[in-house]
Amino acid sequence: MTVTEENKAGVDDKEHALLELRNICKYFGNVTALENITTRVEAGKVTCVLGDNGAGKSTFIKILSGVHQPSSGEYTMYGSPVHFNNPRDARNAGIAAVFQDLALAPLLSIWRNFFLGVEPMRGGILMRSAFMKKTAKEEMAKMGIDLRDVDQPVGTLSGGERQSVAIARAVYFGARVLILDEPTSALGVKQSGVVLKYTRAAADRGLGVIFITHNPNHAIPVGDRFLLLNRGHSLGDFAKNEISRTELTRLMAGGAELEQLEHEIGIR
Amino acid sequence: MTATDVRIGDEPVAEPPPIPSDERISHRGPMRRWLVSPEIGALIGAVIVWAFFWGNGQTFGEADTTLNWLDVAAPTGIMATAVALLMIGGEFDLSSGVMTGATAIQIGLFSRYFMGDGVNIGWAIGSAFLAAAAVGWFNGYMVNKTGLPSFIVTLASFFTLRGVMLVISKRLVGKVQVDQIADQDGAGFFKSWIAHEWKFTEFGIRDNLFLALVFAGSAAFIYGLLEQSFVRRASINPVGAGLTVVGLAAAIGGFCGLLWTDGLGQNALFGVIAGVGVVLAIVGPALARWKARGSDAGAGALPPEAARRLGLGVGLVALACLTPIPFDRRQSMAILTWTSSGLRPVIATIAALAGIGLAVRAMLPELRGDRKASSWGKLSAFSIYSGLLVMTMAICFLQLTTVQALRAMGMLVLAGGGLTFMMIARGIAGKTSKRWQLYIGLLVSVAVVVLAFVVRADSGTVRFRTGMFAAMMIGAIAIAANSLVEFLMEKREHADAVADRLGKLLQLGGFIAAFVGLIIRLVWSNLTPEHAAEVKAAGGSVGQNVLRQTVVWWLIVAAIGSYVLVKTRWGNWIFAVGGNKDAARAVGVPAGQVKVGLFVTVSLCGCLAGTLIALRYGTVQANQGTGLEFEYIIAAVVGGCLLTGGYGSVIGAALGSAIMAVSVVGVQTTRWNSDGRFAFLGGVLLLAVLVNNFIRKKAQEAR
Repeated sequence: MTVTEENKAGVDDKEHALLELRNICKYFGNVTALENITTRVEAGKVTCVLGDNGAGKSTFIKILSGVHQPSSGEYTMYGSPVHFNNPRDARNAGIAAVFQDLALAPLLSIWRNFFLGVEPMRGGILMRSAFMKKTAKEEMAKMGIDLRDVDQPVGTLSGGERQSVAIARAVYFGARVLILDEPTSALGVKQSGVVLKYTRAAADRGLGVIFITHNPNHAIPVGDRFLLLNRGHSLGDFAKNEISRTELTRLMAGGAELEQLEHEIGIR
Repeated sequence: MTATDVRIGDEPVAEPPPIPSDERISHRGPMRRWLVSPEIGALIGAVIVWAFFWGNGQTFGEADTTLNWLDVAAPTGIMATAVALLMIGGEFDLSSGVMTGATAIQIGLFSRYFMGDGVNIGWAIGSAFLAAAAVGWFNGYMVNKTGLPSFIVTLASFFTLRGVMLVISKRLVGKVQVDQIADQDGAGFFKSWIAHEWKFTEFGIRDNLFLALVFAGSAAFIYGLLEQSFVRRASINPVGAGLTVVGLAAAIGGFCGLLWTDGLGQNALFGVIAGVGVVLAIVGPALARWKARGSDAGAGALPPEAARRLGLGVGLVALACLTPIPFDRRQSMAILTWTSSGLRPVIATIAALAGIGLAVRAMLPELRGDRKASSWGKLSAFSIYSGLLVMTMAICFLQLTTVQALRAMGMLVLAGGGLTFMMIARGIAGKTSKRWQLYIGLLVSVAVVVLAFVVRADSGTVRFRTGMFAAMMIGAIAIAANSLVEFLMEKREHADAVADRLGKLLQLGGFIAAFVGLIIRLVWSNLTPEHAAEVKAAGGSVGQNVLRQTVVWWLIVAAIGSYVLVKTRWGNWIFAVGGNKDAARAVGVPAGQVKVGLFVTVSLCGCLAGTLIALRYGTVQANQGTGLEFEYIIAAVVGGCLLTGGYGSVIGAALGSAIMAVSVVGVQTTRWNSDGRFAFLGGVLLLAVLVNNFIRKKAQEAR
């Protein structure tokens, strides 16, 4: 299978992380969107990017996925610098972004959605529908979801299950790095838990995962590394054992600013 | 697998972890799988409308009327296929109707006037296809480029094409029609290859072939359904195999006996033999192939809710048996004329009051909320409107409907309702008591037999006395056999790939066989030329039984369209582009190209329809096809396509155009006021879409 072979090729390079970003800056005119961001993404690990609204999370993933190009700084993959002109370049290099709208057609059945755009063909005309159904079912099973019926429309799945279809699809088509943009933001508590489980499952299958969220309670259970952003600046880039839960929550919530706010409005 | 320290090389990607079974998983039965398909509403609608006219129309169901409605349906069907694809892709084409006329005009003009005195019609046809492709490409390009709704862009094309056609034909020909196309060079050649007409007269073994194919097809279909429903045995049970052989022999012998004898006593004897044979031929293979049900949980009592519904159902069926009594079956005048003049104001008042009642009911929540003066004003306006509307509808209905039709409808509704309640009772009883499920199933089949005899005793026409009677008896036998099988065999709760595939093949094969049988029955007449002359001499009319190649083109275009939609990647892309364009683009589907392709397809199909019109009539009006675009869209919607895109079926669209054609032709064959056909068509369309939505919702719910 594509994923495994490519990952095996990658694993030979133990010196370097899968992705590494050093002092990434991005300016839009005289607006500083990001300044001196440094972090790394390792295969089989989840790197969480945390930040409040306007912290630069979106700009950051757009740089990672090739939508924007960094103004300065180093972006390396297995130690060698990369330059993506557009999202297609990034996708070809194995960086798949799962955005909030998930790129799924709600009325289309699961197996058709799974292979949308890259349908396996027989004789150039006929779709290999039996193979497609079987594969879609198997791949979803690897994510821990037993589908009742691959023929059901994606729209009938729950939010978490839909996320996992998008994730499973990215994984199956050879992604080495998976970028999840706020996958839990629109979900309830239980569904968020389901998505976190699938996120972890994707990492366990050998992918480097970048998990963007503004909720530290979702980041802590799955994260191996935490990058905290605030107004385009990095508040720090920590491995799991370098930071405590309380510290993370405090930094995330705005740290000193929040303490001052509490003082002002008299929260005990 | 735990989260912490898995390296990419050594984790077992290929082995899925064991999955805990999900208690929400339910195996979808074969019937349910049929019911979720988008075209099912149109299929049911087509059968109902067809059966309705078969019962009411004088000549409906004969070869000439069948060929007539096929001929009406075919051009709409060709276009509806393409329009359905475009609608699934999320766009409309309002220039599709005028495209048929424009290309027909272009063919006429080119073949008569190009380079002075015209060219061979082949060149004219070729140039028309090129021009159509160009217009389609332009539509698609403009929609993509400007991002305007296709409604606007194609409306502009519609007016432009219409204007250009009028100007050119007036300037060149001096009038708004182009004629003598059939006299041009090459017209004969192309007519015989593209727009051929086959004449059918007589086909001696038609009815026997029809019966054989329909029986074989239905049997295969039923076995297919059973195959998908039960647990297989490890080995074949010899008793069941023996019963199968005996049953088949009895069934075939009984039917042959029925065909070859004519006396009432002999018919009854052979009928019973055939019936028993059919039951054995269904129960036998079941015993042979599937596992018997364990004897547990079979003997519960009848639940009270099932008993209530059963009582209601039996009562309704009994009432249905009594409906013929107050009516005179030979009475074919409209109900309004039939009723005494004192009764008419009463009927109108009741209808008006019903309309007002509906309005008040609809307004109730608003009235409860606040008692402002404005809402009272709204209520009075709304009630007057609704009262008048319902009254008009009632009068139209009474004017259009004959006494005979009322009697038939009353019986149909009562009997249908009663049987439905009995089936619901059977379903409820089946959850707790297999025994009662069997009893109620057998009771249903007895009710159908009783109704069959009522129909037979009370009908004036041969088709009801024999055809309908036989069909109902066979239905009753099938219901009884199915109840027995369901009582005896163990239902499958899991998928079984081999059996499911075999079942699907059997269903498909059976469906095709029955369909071919039906076509043979409908297209060929069993009148010999001599016999036809006799009928004519006696003052009857004999249709000319012409099958036009348009119908063949319709089938070809629908088959290709359906194949492309379901089996190829382009179909996948069409669904995706209509369902979520941005998503499709994000995963690499060339959304723009797909849309352009769809617009070009619609235009090319329009050109095909236009060519067929030009070759067939030899004369084309400049306003040919104007206004038909809505018929195409309606056919697609009736066929289950969503107006919002992303869902639908080409087969459904083909059935939708059949429904419309059957309605138009059917009304002509009845003794009704044929101006009422548009009202009828409106009702049919509304009903078909409602049925479609209802079934889809029910089927989706059960997941």
